[in-house]
Parts: sequence; C-alpha cells; structure tokens
Amino acid sequence: MKHTDEKLKNFQALLKKNGIDAFAVTDVVSINLLTDFYFAGQGDSFLLVTPRKAYCFTKPLYLIDLKHKTPYLNLIDSLNPADVAAKASELKAKNKCFDSFAIDYLSGKLFFNAGFKEKGGFLAASREVKTATEIKKMRKACGISFAAYEEFKKNLKTGMSETAAAKMLEGIMERMGGQGLAFDTIVCFGENSANPHHVPCERKLKNNEPVLIDYGCKFEGYCSDITRTFWHGAKPSSRFNKIFDIVKGSHDFAFKRVKNPVAATEVDAACKQYMEDCQSGISKYFIHGLGHGLGTQIHEAPFISARSKDILKKGNVFSIEPGLYFEGEFGVRYEDTVLLDDKGAKILTK
Amino acid sequence: MPKLDATKLSALKNLLKKNNLDGIVISDYTDMKYVLGEIFLPGEAVLLAHKKGIYVTSRSLYAATVKAAYPQIKIEACDSHRELKITETAKKLGLKKISFDKNKEIYVAGAAYAAAGFEPSEGLMESLRTSKTKSELLTMRKATEIALATFTHIQKFLKPGVTEKQIAAEMDNFMKSKGASGVSFDTMVSFGAASANPHYSTGDAKLKKNTVILFDYGCIYKGYCSDMTRTIWFGGKPSAEFKKVYSVVKGAYDAVVKNAKEGMLGEQIDSIARNYIKEAGYGQYFTHGLGHGIGMNIHEEAYVNPENGKKKIMRNYCFSVEPGVYLTGKFGVRYEDCYYMTPKGINLISKAK
Repeated sequence: MKHTDEKLKNFQALLKKNGIDAFAVTDVVSINLLTDFYFAGQGDSFLLVTPRKAYCFTKPLYLIDLKHKTPYLNLIDSLNPADVAAKASELKAKNKCFDSFAIDYLSGKLFFNAGFKEKGGFLAASREVKTATEIKKMRKACGISFAAYEEFKKNLKTGMSETAAAKMLEGIMERMGGQGLAFDTIVCFGENSANPHHVPCERKLKNNEPVLIDYGCKFEGYCSDITRTFWHGAKPSSRFNKIFDIVKGSHDFAFKRVKNPVAATEVDAACKQYMEDCQSGISKYFIHGLGHGLGTQIHEAPFISARSKDILKKGNVFSIEPGLYFEGEFGVRYEDTVLLDDKGAKILTK
Repeated sequence: MPKLDATKLSALKNLLKKNNLDGIVISDYTDMKYVLGEIFLPGEAVLLAHKKGIYVTSRSLYAATVKAAYPQIKIEACDSHRELKITETAKKLGLKKISFDKNKEIYVAGAAYAAAGFEPSEGLMESLRTSKTKSELLTMRKATEIALATFTHIQKFLKPGVTEKQIAAEMDNFMKSKGASGVSFDTMVSFGAASANPHYSTGDAKLKKNTVILFDYGCIYKGYCSDMTRTIWFGGKPSAEFKKVYSVVKGAYDAVVKNAKEGMLGEQIDSIARNYIKEAGYGQYFTHGLGHGIGMNIHEEAYVNPENGKKKIMRNYCFSVEPGVYLTGKFGVRYEDCYYMTPKGINLISKAK
C-alpha cells in the first residue's frame, strides 16, 4: 500500500480557505487519516498542520517507518504538546486553532492558554467529503458485505445460535477479502430483532421466524455497513410481510429524496412521512435516526435524523437504515451504504 | 444481559470515599464497560457515579436496553452535549465534590465541568482497573491460553511460499474458532529483516527457508486482551548471530521473571532487562520499553518502561514482559508473555489461579 498525502493536501486547502495558519491535531483517528499512516493508539503522535507544511510529533518507535513511508511529514522526536504550541509560535502563525470536540481537556487547555482558538467539530466536518481513493476503498468494502449476504443466507441452518451465525458471517467476509470488521456483527433471531442494539447470544434459530443481520467489514481501513431482515422458513407471517414492505418502501423513498445538496432533516422527514402514509401512527416504532456518515470510523458526520443540522452533499458516504421495532415480537431494519456524488445518490452495498 | 458486578461497584464506592468525592464523571469507553458491561458505543453515553448510585445519560437508542438490564439505574436520553445533563444532575442531587478525568474528557466537556466547579483529576478509574479481580485474571488466562494454542497450531502452516498475511489470517481465524471475539491488535507476522522493525505492518512477503519469523499477536476473550510474541528460525540451522541475540533477549526476559518484585516502580522492572541487554553489548538495540499494562485495553496503566514507569507495580497488576533486540537490515528478536504481580513476584497470566 502506497502512502499518500491526498487527505493532508485537502485539509491544507481547507485551512487556507478558512484563513487558519496552524491547526493542532491530537486525536488518533484524525492523525491516521491525515498522515495516511497507522499510529496504534491515542497519544502516540501529534500533528501541527499549516497550509503548506505538516509537522508530526512522535516517538522513536515510529520514526524509522515514517521516514520511509511519509516523506510529506516533517518529523519531530517529541510527545510534548507544549512543543507543538512552541512550533506554532516559531512559525509565527497568527490564526492558530484546535478542535475542542476532538482533544482531551488537559491538552486543549494548554493550546487555549497558548492562544489557540476553539474550532469544535472542524476535524469531523473535514472528513465528511470523501476523495476518489477513499470512495474506491469504501465501494470495495461495501461490495464484500453485500456479497456475503447471499452466502450467509444459504448456509444459515435451523438450530444455529446467534453467536455461531455471527462468526460464520464474519468468516464469509474475511474469505471474500474483508480486512476486519467495521463493528461487532449483530445477528438477531425472532423477538431479539426488536432490539436495535442486541448483542448476539446463545439463542438458537427456529424454523419460521425473522432474522436480522447488521454488519460490515473494512477494506484498507474503510468501513461498510449493511442490514438485512428476512424470514427463515417457508411461511413468512402476513404481519412480517406487511412491516417489511413498509420499511423497505420507506428506505427506497428516502433514497430517492437524496440529492446534492439536501438537508438531512428533509430525508428523515420523507422517510417518516412514507411510513405514516402506509399506516397512521406507525412511525413511533422507528426509534432511531435514519442514518450516519461512515469512513474510517463506522459513525461520523453527516448524521441523518430529525434533530440533525447537517446538509448532505457531494462526496458524502452515509447509511440509510429505517427500522420498525415491536418489543417482544420482532423488528425489521433495512440498510444500505450510500454515496452522494454530482449525479445523485448511489447504493454502494450492491 | 450484563449484570452489575458487586465487587466492582463496592470498589467504585471505596474510590469515592478514599478520594473524598461525592461523584465521578465516567465517559471513557473502557471505564464505562468496566462499570456497566458492554452496552454503549464509544462517545454515546456519560455516567455519573455518586454516593447513592449511578446516573446515565446516553443516546436515546440505549434507554430501553439500560432500563431492562439495570432497573436500579436512572437513565436520561440526550443526543448532544451530555455534559450539560451531567452538571444539571449533579446540582439537582446536591453533589459538591465531583471529579472528571482531564485526559479523557474532550475539551468542550471538560471546560463545562470546570465551569460547574468539578475538579480535574487523572487516572482514578485506572487505579480501579489496574489491579485485577480474581474473575478478571481467570478471563485473561483464557485469552492467553487461546493465544498460546495458536502458536502451536500455526507451526504446521509454516511452509516456503506462504505469505505473512496468510499466516496472520490463519492465526486470527484459529483464535476466533477457539472462542475469541476478535484480535486485541492487528496480528504482526514479520519475516527476515522486517522483524527488525518493532512497528512493522504484516505484508505480502513470501516465506523462504533459513530466515527469522516474528509473531506478535493476541486476542480478546469476554472483553479482556492477551498479548504474546515469539521469534523463531525457520528451516535449516539458525545463524550464530541469531542464536546469540536470542539468548540475550531470553536471558533478559528470565532475569525480569526472577527479579521483579511487588512495589518496584515500572521503570525499575524495565531496568532489569535493560541492564542485562546492555551488559551483553546490545543496549542500543533495545529500542522500546519492556512492557505495558494489559486488561480490557491492550495498552493501559502498569507501564514498565523508562518513559511512563514512575508508578509502583502492585498486587494483581497485569503487564507484558517483552524485551527485544533489533538489528536493522538483519533481523530482530522479541520474546513476550504477560504476567501479574503477587507478593512473591510475578506469575504468568496463563497460570493464574
């Protein structure tokens, strides 16, 4: 894998656009993304990015590797945030900033006292628009997850436990080229499907009941996310069929509303309106947001819910995942990972 | 369903008492998992543990799960700026002295807590988590046993032409088939000169005869990590230099096992290995710390290294012992197992009772 400064350059352009002379980055997710290098943990490195340069503060352990792989970084052997602030002064940066949502209190206070300004959410927002390379990786991760679904369905047997089924699904993704999981695989049988955050247990699959699977893999660090609900057995109950049709219909209806640009609340409202049009009062059983952005993290901006202030735009990759949940009975969720580009929305999980 | 662990809860109450606190803010993913079991994704809830109980504010999605699992816990849904719910609740409950972790809270939250008169602290939850309970040790033993069995299992896979990634994938699958929920970090398999890079990422190199293989890996079992490293010579006869370096690394490891004692500082335990390797003439090639604490996190308190080993290593602290010597361009050797401290010295976690 060749390391690139593509993300870093985009970020530097963003700094320039916002009139920022230096930005201190301390959270490992942002650092790994910007440097295209894998630091194992929080606190292993700091970055100071200016519109033209990037200074990477880290420990000797990483320096050997960094020297070869990331020629676009100026390396400094230190892990003291005070040295980061000092470097910004040395560069005579006037408008210095840090992200108050993505930094620990102690380091944040140090930067604040050194004259850095709070820019809460700047880093998360900078991740919203994916590059062509990132989209390629996400397309691959999504393709694997989608292909795993048919294989899983074929091999699922009555009597299998949720944990065994989850392991099987993870094995299928791995064989198909997945590189680890995007999050812990959710497999729910029967009434367990009514809990959107159910953790697989020893519950065994019976004939003629619903199965809900919510899962995803990673490819070169990027996540995919997909949910399918289906009936195991020959005779789906008419109630299951009815609820499934409402959920799937609301998913398709919301998908059609996605355009460049659109307010996240508009898509969320369209989905709920569709549900209500099918059956008045039913949208109260839709107990979570409609979707979330994803990238190297499984949950990131933009978020699609009734309270979201986000605008969906070109380059965003996010999930659309309506669901209806009936406690003690069953739940249905249908989810795809979607890319929004200049021609409109495209489903990646296919 | 997770259950409230009485041992952990009383330890939490003692922690408040000992530090003269009315409450403590808990928002770190692992700390929350320690108290309530695995419910929330990172950053989706905040806990306020106080003298009379636990208050939780989380994404609305979790309210039903928490209510069902812990009827005695008060939970309020909140989808953004949960720190404001916490300061509000503290006021309502009349709690005066409340602590928040200055390294774990994000700046906006910490600033809101500081403004409400909460006190910044550090490492309070770690002080709970670092000394493992008996049941935690037994869970870690199981995680370690799976890793040990994996090393035996992988031997028959080592054939010329197989790649580092293929070996790593086989190890990962084997660990999962033995009950692990996942790996505790990306499995590292390095051939030949790559083994001299302690931070190598497993690649596509093909195995040849007469070379070094280094395996550094571990798994997660019921939320707890294992971590081990072995270095072997594959095919033919090991070179004299390899044999020499191996005996130095293993000698350093054995010296630590024999001489590490309860109450020593982390850096003192590190220096046992460091001095041994130095005296053997390889001092400059031991380029990292001796070890790190391990538990729910692969790296946590109980560091045994010169940079952050200023704390005493006490009873039931768990940490890795992993000396290494790295000859750039040639090969590296590392040997690692995880140990826990007892009044009589350190014991292998794989033999915890």
